[in-house]
Amino acid sequence: MSDWSLEQLKEWDDKICEVARKYGLDWYSIDYEICDYYEMIGHMSYHGMPSYFNHWSFGKSFERTHFMYNAGAEGLPYELIINSDPSIAYLMRQNELFLQILIMAHCVGHSDFFKNNRCFKDTDPKNVVSRMRNAKKRIQSYVEDPNIGIDEVEKFIDNLQALSFQTNRYGIPRKSKGDIRKEEIERFNKLKDVGIKLDQKHLDGKLLRPDYDLFAFFQEYASEKFKDWQLDIFDIMHRESLYFIPQIKTKILNEGWASFWHYKILNELNLTDNFHIPFLKLHNAVVKPHIGGLNPYHIGFYIFNKIEREHGLQACFEAREIHDDVSACRIFLDEEDIRELNIFSFVRGKHGEVKVSEVADEDDWEVVKKEMLKNIGVGSIPQIFVERIEKDGTLVLKHEYDGRDLDLDHATKVVGHVKDLWKDNVRLYTILESDVWEI
Amino acid sequence: MSVFRTHNTNADRSAADRSRHKKKIEKAIKEGIHDIVAEESIIGQDGKKQIRIPVRGIKQYRFIYGSGNGSKGVGSAQGKDLRKGQILKEGTPQQGSGSGKGGNEKGEEYYDVEISLDELAKYLFDDLKLPDLERKSSSNIFSEMIKRKGYRHQGIRVRLSKKETLKNKIRRRSSAERNGSYDPESDESFPFHEDDLMYKHIDVKIKPITNAVIFFIMDVSGSMDKTKKFLARSFFFLLYQFIRFKYEKVELVFISHTTEGKEVSEDDFFKSASTGGTHISSGLLKELEIVKDRFPSKSWNIYSFHCSDGENWDDDNAQAFESMKKVIDLSQMSAYIQINHTNEKVFGQEMSKLFAPLESEKFKLVKIVKKEDIWPQFTKLFGGATNE
Repeated sequence: MSDWSLEQLKEWDDKICEVARKYGLDWYSIDYEICDYYEMIGHMSYHGMPSYFNHWSFGKSFERTHFMYNAGAEGLPYELIINSDPSIAYLMRQNELFLQILIMAHCVGHSDFFKNNRCFKDTDPKNVVSRMRNAKKRIQSYVEDPNIGIDEVEKFIDNLQALSFQTNRYGIPRKSKGDIRKEEIERFNKLKDVGIKLDQKHLDGKLLRPDYDLFAFFQEYASEKFKDWQLDIFDIMHRESLYFIPQIKTKILNEGWASFWHYKILNELNLTDNFHIPFLKLHNAVVKPHIGGLNPYHIGFYIFNKIEREHGLQACFEAREIHDDVSACRIFLDEEDIRELNIFSFVRGKHGEVKVSEVADEDDWEVVKKEMLKNIGVGSIPQIFVERIEKDGTLVLKHEYDGRDLDLDHATKVVGHVKDLWKDNVRLYTILESDVWEI
Repeated sequence: MSVFRTHNTNADRSAADRSRHKKKIEKAIKEGIHDIVAEESIIGQDGKKQIRIPVRGIKQYRFIYGSGNGSKGVGSAQGKDLRKGQILKEGTPQQGSGSGKGGNEKGEEYYDVEISLDELAKYLFDDLKLPDLERKSSSNIFSEMIKRKGYRHQGIRVRLSKKETLKNKIRRRSSAERNGSYDPESDESFPFHEDDLMYKHIDVKIKPITNAVIFFIMDVSGSMDKTKKFLARSFFFLLYQFIRFKYEKVELVFISHTTEGKEVSEDDFFKSASTGGTHISSGLLKELEIVKDRFPSKSWNIYSFHCSDGENWDDDNAQAFESMKKVIDLSQMSAYIQINHTNEKVFGQEMSKLFAPLESEKFKLVKIVKKEDIWPQFTKLFGGATNE
């Protein structure tokens, strides 16, 4: 049913690589897996990882995608590539040849981005595949352990999944509990006229500075509350969050960069019309705006084209190295661009109605841009941090409020998960309609 | 340069996680069901009626932004004209359009599952069993039942379902249109694909033919007020669904009584006004009479359920006891269900106490004071594990 052979894919791949090298792209080698749509949905459910731990939520994710695909509500993404060295990407058997060519060129762009963008420098792509495989094996061994069992393991993973991405977002090295204590003791003991000397004893069970990494907090400050297998899963899930955060932060740039390159490369391949026309059609469909939200392919493609136009190709390479979505949109999108892209903000009413609240006109373009910057990258996920531990053992969490209210139903349930982990009282403070709110 | 690999393993890597997910859904359905068994809206519906039940626990919670005042979405409408305040999408007044098949909108999770009463019965009654029955005379006759059972991708040609096949093709086409790989305006045709083919699936079941008759007897004397009757009705409804679930053919007999038993229609049974005094025996005697006329206990499995608020006129107690004994003897199973308000005082001798010595495998006493009692009491009756 496919109109291509493996040989043809290899030939085209050689041509693509040649063009890409000529331009100076520098990517990990790529392993392409050929699969059918059913396997594709399977891989998607596990973030494209060839091996990943088992949890019912991935089954749910499979069912959902499968249903949507069958209902025609969503097509499958054409490309799925993971940040690993070598990169692993999937090609669906039923794709036509022109589409495979486009995907392979697109994947080269992604792989180059993974290898060169600064956000990814701590993701350890050489070992991620084996790390995930080992994690899966260990979790499986806990499931099979008669003293633990699948219910316990699932429940624990449920708790940790509720805290997904509530970890160090900015790549700043974390200070350990011991270092913070040392610093604080030194600072205190330098003060004159206090009369007492502070030492470690005074600080037991105290959190000296707010902690923005919930996973690391539990591992460091509450390790005695967990069994070894639980601490291990903590570690697995903590690393998982840290591994995926760079991808959340660079969705627009990453897709923009890959689209920028598949477009450039395919235009240099001297495609015949029967390839070139469907390619252009599909490319236009991929980078067209979505009125219901920001299409990362659209915005990213726009940004890199603008940089190339105004500052040359070298500047594009620099941008792909040093920027994330927020910094790139802040710097490269000016009033004219916001207007050209016709960025607008909207509110959702109680019954699902959608109303435009600001448009990119003279008065409001800055407001709209500000809203946009809030909503992209990790900004789409509220940040919660540990503020303090009270004397009675209550854990006090706080929401870093930036004008957007939390979904209380969700927040209450997540606090329940945190209670399960902390095994003591937990309070969360946020602001709701301008008043302090406590859960 | 790059490496290409084809695995022809066909490994279905998410199979295990899907089955765990399914178990969770089933569990959630079962848990949700206990809350709704006494919902007025489902009482008295027939088996095909679709009802929604809330399924909890499948939803995953994260810290997310709500749609409250501070939270705005951002979109891009390049090439389009937009005005401040413009409505992009009209709201739909009824909420929660999600169904068991998953929502249509991104981010929407399954909350409720729409199932028919028949499926509900399956979930509710699967772990319950009827007390060990002596099979009645006609029970060694088996019948073969052929039932349509959904659609499959594989099948023989004659069972090809054109409609489902076409539906698949249409789905695939609209999906292709959406992602741009097919242009509806072009001349190219959009052919059928092997994956589109759907076949009707048929299941053959062999079932023993068994007959059952259920007697619902209810006291409609003055003291049975609306609340009590609602509880009685809910309980009877569950009984009816349960027995219908276990048997091919079920006859129902409704008897209401004050000081005199009367066979009535289902409608009258639940709706008739309550007046008059109480002779518990009158309902039971009526049953015995009907059994003798129409349902010889040799070939019918008889179930008798008597609902009242425990009051009886003293002069009837002896006869009530005797006739209850007779009813128990000829029934597969019988129960006396006493419904009271919280802290209600029963005048005279309470019937549940009078019948207490008769309690056995075949005769159960049930007490209900509030809606929440219905399900636990029901499972107690049929030896199911409550809330498992």
